[in-house]
Amino acid sequence: MAYAYLFKYIIIGDTGVGKSCLLLQFTDKRFQPVHDLTMGVEFGARMITIDGKQIKLQIWDTAGQESFRSITRSYYRGAAGALLVYDITRRDTFNHLTTWLEDARQHSNSNMVIMLIGNKSDLESRREVKKEEGEAFAREHGLIFMETSAKTASNVEEAFINTAKEIYEKIQEGVFDINNEANGIKIGPQHAATNASHGGNQGGQQAGGGCC
Amino acid sequence: MFGRSRSWVGGGHGKSSRNIHSLDHLKYLYHVLTKNTTVTEQNRNLLVETIRSITEILIWGDQNDSSVFDFFLEKNMFVFFLNILRQKSGRYVCVQLLQTLNILFENISHETSLYYLLSNNYVNSIIVHKFDFSDEEIMAYYISFLKTLSLKLNNHTVHFFYNEHTNDFALYTEAIKFFNHPESMVRIAVRTITLNVYKVDNQAMLHYIRDKTAVPYFSNLVWFIGSHVIELDNCVQTDEEHRNRGKLSDLVAEHLDHLHYLNDILIINCEFLNDVLTDHLLNRLFLPLYVHSLENPDKGGERPKISLPVSLYLLSQVFLIIHHAPLVNSLAEVILNGDLSETYTKPAQDAPRSSAKPSIRCFIKPTETLERSLEMNKHKGKKRMQKRPNYKNVGEEEDEERGSAEDAQEDAEKTKGTEGGSKSMKTSGEREEIEMVIMKLGKLSEVATAGASVQEQNTTDEEKSAATSSENAQWSRPFLDMVYHALDSPDDDYHALFVLCLLYAMSHNKGMDPEKLKRIQLPVPSEAEKTTYNHLLAERLIRIMNNAAQPDGRIRLATLELSCLLLKQQVLTSSGCVIKDVHLACLEGAREESVHLVRHFYKGEEIFLDMFEDEYRSMTIKPMNVEYLMMDASILLPPTGTPLTGIDFVKRLPCGDVEKTRREKFPEAEFLVQRAIRVFFMLRSLSLQLRGEPETQLPLTREEDLIKTDDVLDLNNSDLIACTVITKDGGMVQRFLAVDIYQMSLVEPDVSRLGWGVVKFAGLLQDMQVTGVEDDSRALNITIHKPASSPHSKPFPILQATFVFSDHIRCIIAKQRLAKGRIQARRMKMQRIAALLDLPIQPTTEVLGFGLCSTSSQHLPFRFYEQCRRGSSDPTVQRSVFASVDKVPGFAVAQCINQHSSPSLSSPSPPFASGSPGGSGSTSHCDSGGSSSAPSATQSPADAPTTPEQPQPHLDQSVIGNEVDVNSKPSKNSSARSSEGETMHLSPSLLPAQQPTISLLYEDTADTLSVESLTLVPPVDPHSLRALSGISQLPAMAAADSETPAEGAVSPEPAGPTEH
Repeated sequence: MAYAYLFKYIIIGDTGVGKSCLLLQFTDKRFQPVHDLTMGVEFGARMITIDGKQIKLQIWDTAGQESFRSITRSYYRGAAGALLVYDITRRDTFNHLTTWLEDARQHSNSNMVIMLIGNKSDLESRREVKKEEGEAFAREHGLIFMETSAKTASNVEEAFINTAKEIYEKIQEGVFDINNEANGIKIGPQHAATNASHGGNQGGQQAGGGCC
Repeated sequence: MFGRSRSWVGGGHGKSSRNIHSLDHLKYLYHVLTKNTTVTEQNRNLLVETIRSITEILIWGDQNDSSVFDFFLEKNMFVFFLNILRQKSGRYVCVQLLQTLNILFENISHETSLYYLLSNNYVNSIIVHKFDFSDEEIMAYYISFLKTLSLKLNNHTVHFFYNEHTNDFALYTEAIKFFNHPESMVRIAVRTITLNVYKVDNQAMLHYIRDKTAVPYFSNLVWFIGSHVIELDNCVQTDEEHRNRGKLSDLVAEHLDHLHYLNDILIINCEFLNDVLTDHLLNRLFLPLYVHSLENPDKGGERPKISLPVSLYLLSQVFLIIHHAPLVNSLAEVILNGDLSETYTKPAQDAPRSSAKPSIRCFIKPTETLERSLEMNKHKGKKRMQKRPNYKNVGEEEDEERGSAEDAQEDAEKTKGTEGGSKSMKTSGEREEIEMVIMKLGKLSEVATAGASVQEQNTTDEEKSAATSSENAQWSRPFLDMVYHALDSPDDDYHALFVLCLLYAMSHNKGMDPEKLKRIQLPVPSEAEKTTYNHLLAERLIRIMNNAAQPDGRIRLATLELSCLLLKQQVLTSSGCVIKDVHLACLEGAREESVHLVRHFYKGEEIFLDMFEDEYRSMTIKPMNVEYLMMDASILLPPTGTPLTGIDFVKRLPCGDVEKTRREKFPEAEFLVQRAIRVFFMLRSLSLQLRGEPETQLPLTREEDLIKTDDVLDLNNSDLIACTVITKDGGMVQRFLAVDIYQMSLVEPDVSRLGWGVVKFAGLLQDMQVTGVEDDSRALNITIHKPASSPHSKPFPILQATFVFSDHIRCIIAKQRLAKGRIQARRMKMQRIAALLDLPIQPTTEVLGFGLCSTSSQHLPFRFYEQCRRGSSDPTVQRSVFASVDKVPGFAVAQCINQHSSPSLSSPSPPFASGSPGGSGSTSHCDSGGSSSAPSATQSPADAPTTPEQPQPHLDQSVIGNEVDVNSKPSKNSSARSSEGETMHLSPSLLPAQQPTISLLYEDTADTLSVESLTLVPPVDPHSLRALSGISQLPAMAAADSETPAEGAVSPEPAGPTEH
């Protein structure tokens, strides 16, 4: 379970946009999305590889805690990455992005990487928010953008991994202070040398929360 | 959250999944479990997959088929889980189980399903299971599991977790044991769980919380917070050159997190819980640590202390965030009045009790760990049958017991008067214990008295007189005196900013009793009637304003803005302003100073106008938010003029050492200009408001004056040029181009009225950029940017199109008209600024001829339009490879070669002076070269008056009345011009750095541009500056002025190379 870095993510966005489903979909593929079953989870972890380095992602869903200001505040601060999710079939969830973003910018550390995600891209027929609108919003606010479907697993992998890549690049550039754990980044326990060899088997044998 | 993702399932039907998600499959899995009751290396994977599949089926069952749940319960399948867990089967299985449980409880949507799952107390067994918490993944899954459960808590489900008979509430007690876990996400989860618990309105459970856990938890929590505060203070004390800022900002954020958490508890409004919490906060943290640190640093040596600024800062945060009335009032009472012994009307509270118990008010470490306290309490509770619940058994001294009976009596009476606790009094059976909780509130009086007596002998004369100058200040108020005293620091506003924040925060606190503030004559903002105000404070505020308007003022903009806010709050009423004439006069004096300050920077440069408007915009769009200000850790360190620290510009001081900053290429000059402009805006606005006059001149561009899309205009007398507008996305429309005073517009004929047109687009000329098109002499590229509205958004183009005209003549005409319009628009605005600054309005030619040419051309080669006008009559002018006419500041577009081919057109056609864009030397060459007449033009008007008028800025400073203004008109002129001279040297450093902030950039070209302009605009050689600074004629002036001498020496210099 050795990793070079651990990145903490949070997932934010209105209720019902599919945050916890995205999370489960990414962290545990054994739960195949099927039509008559939707499920999500509020916490998950998974190992990924970037640039030959094992990186552990720890993702915390903030759902249900919006009523406590102290909680949202703290979550933002402790995260290196945030997935800001809206539902492409519900315009209101898109309209609330500004508020979410303001909150995020206000409370997070300035280096936090924010990825904008238009979820439920499988429901093309009920689409209310055009892809271009999402792109434009992302461009205007300096976010990375992607449309995903937790249902078909389309782009889910990419969303989480691209965010991680961005964080990783920032680490390489020295933007993040990795020795400060408050930034949501932790250096692995034995980040000396040994990460390549035994992290390699993709954690399939690792515990359930891991990948497979 | 229930079923929150169901809606988008879309009701499709599973294919192969059908058999996996079925009762039969669950039965099969049950069979697997029965065959594998012992976890072995061999069956581990099988078990994990079985558990996972069971989860899936259960969720499916919850959503589709309830018989699944019946079977699960009937077979008691939870027992298998527990059994597996207890076998110490290793983290692999553990994590899987925890994940399963998480998913299970997260996704269950039916209440009944939930009850089933909770009904056998297995969940509690899992909660108390001793997992290997040293494993970070298990820890994370475990705490998430508890959090998920806590989100399911309500008045019904709470009974599954809280057992009244055994006094067990594992979910809560197990969670709070991790309240100080090193992993922040775990701490956050713990806080979430506690809040979710407190939120449940179940009296029995809440009583348990209070009686058995509140004191241990809160005392530990308060100690935890306090320890962070002391660390924070250390961090400030040991800082060198702002190196601790990273750590400091974490500690500050941590403190804020705590305060918000405390506030979240308090606003759940569980009264008797709040009483315990308030008691702990006041007596074990805020008073002993924060407030007592306000007193003289030499006093009270052995107690833990923090420094004055840190204490003021943290107290401001407390008042900004926590609005719980009993807490803030008690706290404010001590700060504002210190001595409660007289005047105060609260009953039964003024008699100081002799039996001061220092143990109660101390910031001390709890005597035992939270875990142990919880154990003890549980234990004791069983033994003592709750007859006398000793919720306070932690860290209590003996005398506590002794005094408690009488305290309880006294406090019982007191409580009637206070907001807190009155309701809990009614729950008769519990009376006794509740009284114990409340009693501490009354003890504030002792604190105050103690504090006062300590302070009394070291109150200085000044403080005394200060105190007495306020009319009802007959009593000694040591903490308040300290607060006022901190406003007086002559060197800087380090403390003053915090004091102002504290006063602001107190007066805006919703829980605060207005009476408290009235007694120091600090009215709450909403107060309607006031006839008098706190002169002492007002005078100090005005002094700060005055100081800020000085060229060498050591006042940060944030301090100034807060002063303005507080002054307005004091003297403005719904019916008018009650400020005394003498104060108003002083204020006007400060405003006048600020006018001089800006005048000093006023020049014909485009960048000045852009800065002026940008500053106004950002000031109105983003007014000060004190809460945000107090979230910034950087203000905790002594104010700095060092620009490199990246401190927001409202929070830093001007840097005295211009040379240093120049070497580091930081736009200190820009900062000085911005600062001056801001000071001017603030004081102008304040002065207008206090005099009850409306603002008529700002902003320079008012929306209502502008032509808007869909306006219908009479264009009968307008010059229109037909063109085809091709937008970036390929759209193509026929339009007529019209140029108005401030705007250009694209119109199409109005079908109903001849000679009228409908506006299809209108944009400000000043923000426009026109360039030729390389291979088409009939076309122009036109871009208009909208200035950025927030620091995070980039300026974006509202128009980005190619205009194609019918022939190249019309194209040239259009270009000229646009270019001229742009100049005119900017010139008009500059004149309006001049009017604002009481500068004489000069004929436009003069502004252009001297101001713009002599200054901007020197170092801003892209702003050469006017220069070219004159240059065109000059035969020696070189034709430039750059041929674009109009550039926005910071925008040196170098490749519009096409223009080159149409050189012979009328005078405004732009022959660019420089032959090569590279080389630093060439810039000064080209500039002066472009106007071989320029040196004389520049110097003849400037030189002659300049020599006698060098000291003019001094005069400016002392000028007060208007009559002087009139007399000194010409000299003003030249002083303005002489300050223009400075720009020449300001601008190099101004420009490259100006780019990010200037509103007109757009991202595509940003990179090349910055390189471009860096080469085009070489920074002034710092060495020559340093050498020249010796001949400063204005030694008294501050940073900006130290550049003035350079003007005298450098400006003639280019004249040499010119003649080459």
